[in-house]
Amino acid sequence: MVGAELPSLAKTLSQEKIDRYARASGDFNPIHVDPAFAAQTPFGGTIAHGMLLLAYLSEMLTAAFGRAWLAGGRLKIRFKGAARSEETVTVGGHVQRVQEGQERRRLWCDVQCLNQQGEVLVAGQAEVKL
Amino acid sequence: MNKAIEALEKGEQFSAVSFVLDDVAVASYVEAVEDEALPRLAQAEGKAWVPPMAVAALALRSLMEETVLPAGAIHASQEFEFLRPVEVGERIACRARLGHRSQRGGWWVLVVEIEGADESGQAVLAGRLTVMVPR
Repeated sequence: MVGAELPSLAKTLSQEKIDRYARASGDFNPIHVDPAFAAQTPFGGTIAHGMLLLAYLSEMLTAAFGRAWLAGGRLKIRFKGAARSEETVTVGGHVQRVQEGQERRRLWCDVQCLNQQGEVLVAGQAEVKL
Repeated sequence: MNKAIEALEKGEQFSAVSFVLDDVAVASYVEAVEDEALPRLAQAEGKAWVPPMAVAALALRSLMEETVLPAGAIHASQEFEFLRPVEVGERIACRARLGHRSQRGGWWVLVVEIEGADESGQAVLAGRLTVMVPR
């Protein structure tokens, strides 16, 4: 099981999708939703919410582990880069370590979110108990 | 009056909040993040599960309503533990405190520790959010 790949997902961002997430989450930071403001920042344009990228990671982990992800899942990540609107991002990961317990097995997975240039935007570890 | 997050002292509590994960809010979230896995799982189990990251996102929104996050703030890292599945319609009570506050270069480094619990007081979510705020 160690080394097994998680089912990767690709999502193409757009300003419309970022705006939709802002409405759903209530996070209207102008770096996400105000192109004129964002153009004056070092990013040069709007970027997706970090929590949107984490939602994509969570979708992958739900697909991989089902209810075990919802009940006992842990996620620890660092944001390393920004996802710009119109980029395609891919979330993926692999099982890094397994610990057999008396009743349950614990898995640690390295997870990441990459942009279409292969740059790491989010990296970290997820843990589940099966 | 809303308080700037960098003005909080280490250990200071945010105002406790609670919110209901109603079907409109959850559907709006699922549509926004295009989550296909959670609805499949929920249907298979016959439950109206809420995506765990939706609980986290809506908890953060509620907690930050009385706190100003400057436009130049950067979300640096995040930890979450999802303790049990949450269903549509549940009320979640959230508490948060500033667990760490330091200066690094031209930035404040702030760590917000959050906890979410159901109406019986059972914890459903724990997390730590690290935010960098320009000084």
